[in-house]
Amino acid sequence: MTAPTLTKDTAAPPAPVTAPADSGRAPRPAEAGRLALVIRAGARTAGRGIWASGAIVLFLLLWEFGPTYLASASTRVFLPPLHEVLRALGSLIAKGQLQNHLAASLTRSASGFGIAVVTAVALGLLVAWYRSLDRFLNPLLEVFRNTAALALLPVFTLLLGIGETSKISIVAYAAFFPVLLNTIAGVRTVDPLLIRAARSLGLSNFRLFQKVILPSAVPTIFTGIRMAGTSSILVLIAAEMVGAKAGLGYLIVNAQSSFLIPDMYAGILTVSLLGLLVNYLLVAVERHFSRWRTAVGSQFN
Amino acid sequence: MTRGTGPTPKISLRNIGKQFTVRPSKDQPEGSTLTALAGITLDVAAGEFITLVGPSGSGKTTLLDLLAGLTRPDTGQVLVDGKEVTGPGRDRAVVFQQYALFPWRTAAANVAFGLEGPGSDGRRLSRRERADNARDYLELVGLSGFEDRYPHELSGGMKQRVAIARSLAYEPDILLMDEPFAALDAQTREQLQEELLRIWRTTGKTIIFITHGIDEAVYLGQRVAVLSSRPGRLKQVVDIDLGERGGDGDVRSGAAFVEHRHKVWSLLHDEVRKAREAGHAKIRPDGSAPDEAPQLSKGQLSKGKAA
Repeated sequence: MTAPTLTKDTAAPPAPVTAPADSGRAPRPAEAGRLALVIRAGARTAGRGIWASGAIVLFLLLWEFGPTYLASASTRVFLPPLHEVLRALGSLIAKGQLQNHLAASLTRSASGFGIAVVTAVALGLLVAWYRSLDRFLNPLLEVFRNTAALALLPVFTLLLGIGETSKISIVAYAAFFPVLLNTIAGVRTVDPLLIRAARSLGLSNFRLFQKVILPSAVPTIFTGIRMAGTSSILVLIAAEMVGAKAGLGYLIVNAQSSFLIPDMYAGILTVSLLGLLVNYLLVAVERHFSRWRTAVGSQFN
Repeated sequence: MTRGTGPTPKISLRNIGKQFTVRPSKDQPEGSTLTALAGITLDVAAGEFITLVGPSGSGKTTLLDLLAGLTRPDTGQVLVDGKEVTGPGRDRAVVFQQYALFPWRTAAANVAFGLEGPGSDGRRLSRRERADNARDYLELVGLSGFEDRYPHELSGGMKQRVAIARSLAYEPDILLMDEPFAALDAQTREQLQEELLRIWRTTGKTIIFITHGIDEAVYLGQRVAVLSSRPGRLKQVVDIDLGERGGDGDVRSGAAFVEHRHKVWSLLHDEVRKAREAGHAKIRPDGSAPDEAPQLSKGQLSKGKAA
C-alpha cells in the first residue's frame, strides 16, 4: 500500500520546481514548455503506475491463460482460469451467499479485535506504569506471546465449542499481544525530557500520564492495533476452516470438499481483498494519529 | 515581587550541596559518590537577571534542577520568597535547551499547556481564555500567526520562542533557563538574546540563565556567577555594568563589554582547564557522569519512566 503514495510523492516535485524557471521567457514558449513538462510529468506518473501494477497484471494474465495453455488437463480441474473464478464470485454475490459469509467473518473478527484492543491497551498501560506488575506478569506474558494462537485452537474448540465464542476468543487472543506489546513500548519510550518539562510545571502523576505519556504513546499503540487487525483476520479464517457453519474460511473449505473449485478460489480472492482493505484502513487511521511525528527525529536528535 | 530589593531576596541559596550515588561498576564494585555541588550560597533579588557560567560538569544543570524543585539538595536550603522549595511550583518555570515542546500539540496548545490545570488562585480557565492567553504570549515572543503550527513545522529559534511563551504563560515570578540558546545558530541566538532582554524588561521576571558562553553571560546578566570545576562551588560573582544600552549600538564591541568579558574569561579559564584535565563531562539527569563511570551508559535505558 506504500507504492502509490511513493510514486505520487516523487513524481510531484519536478513540476513546481522547474516551472518558475520557465516563467521568465516569452509567454508562448513558456506555456508550451510548461505543457511539455506537464505531459512529461504525467507520462512519468503513468509509467510508474504501469510499472507498479505490472506484476499484478502479469500474475492475473498467468492465472487466466496458464491453466488453459500450460497446465495438464488434470491440473486444470483444480486450477480454473480467472474468468471462471470471477463468474463463480459473481454468482455467489448474486445468490447472497458471499455476503452472508463475509458478514459472519466480519462480525467475529471485529468483536474479537475490539475486545483485544480494549483489554490490551488497558493492561499495557498498567504494566508500563507499575514496574512491579510488569515484573510479575512479564514471564507469563512471554510464554503466551510465544505460543502460536492456532496451536491453541483445539483447546478453544474443546472448551468453548465450535460456536461463535471460540472463534471470537481466538481472534481476541491473537490480536491481544501486538497491541499489548506496542502499548508497553509506547509508554516506555516517552521522551524523558518531556516528562521533566511536565514535572517542572508541577503536574501530578495522573495528569502527567493523561497529558504527556498517553498522547506520546498513541502512534505506537496504533502501530500495534494495525498489526492486530491483520492477524485477527488471518487467525479467523484458519479457525473457520476447522469448525464453523458460516464464514469465509468455511466457504473455502466447504467449496473444496464439495468440489466447487471456482467457488473455493472466489472465497480466497475475497479473503485477500478483505485483508488489503482492512490493512489500508488501519494504515490510514495510524497515519492520522501520527501526523505530528513527521519530523520528530530531527527534533530530538 | 512586592518586596523588591527588600530584606528577603527572591531566591536564596544557602550552602547548597548535592551528591549523586554512582552505581557500582567493574572498576568500583561498591559504587561511589559524586559531589556535583558544594557550599553554594547566593542571593538573587526580585527582578534580577543573573547568568551562571561554569565548565562542563560543574553542576549547572543540577543547580537548576534544585531551583526548579525537580531534585532536593543533600545539604543546605533553597529558598524562594523566604520559603523552602520542596517541589516544582508554578512560581518557577524552566526553559530547556532542547525546547521540550509537546510534538502532538500546536504552538498555541503548547503555550496553553501550563494553563490547563487549576491556576494559583484555584480557578480553572475556560478554553477561550486559554486560547486568548496563548495568543497573547505568542505575540509577546514574536510568533503571531503561528498558533496552529506543530513543533516540527517550526525552526529551532521559533521552537525556543514557543517554549519561552509556554513558560511565561502561567505567569511565574522566576524563569529558570538551562542553556536555552545553545542549540541555535549565532544569528538566531543574538536575536533571541535581544528579545529575552526586552521580555525581561517588560515583564520584570527574575531570571536565572545558565550558559557556557561567556559573551552571552556578560551580555545578558546584571551579574555573572562563575562556578568552579567539579565539585561546583561559587568561584566569584561579577557585577556587570555595560552602561546605558537602550540604543541600537553594538554593545559587544564596547570597551566595557570587552573588559567584563575578559574578567569572566580569566575566572573561567583555569576552571575549564582543570575540568578538561580531569576529563569531566556532563552529569546526566540520573546522576551518573560518563567520565567517572563509563560503564553506566546502559542504565540510561531504564530511566524512561519517572513514576
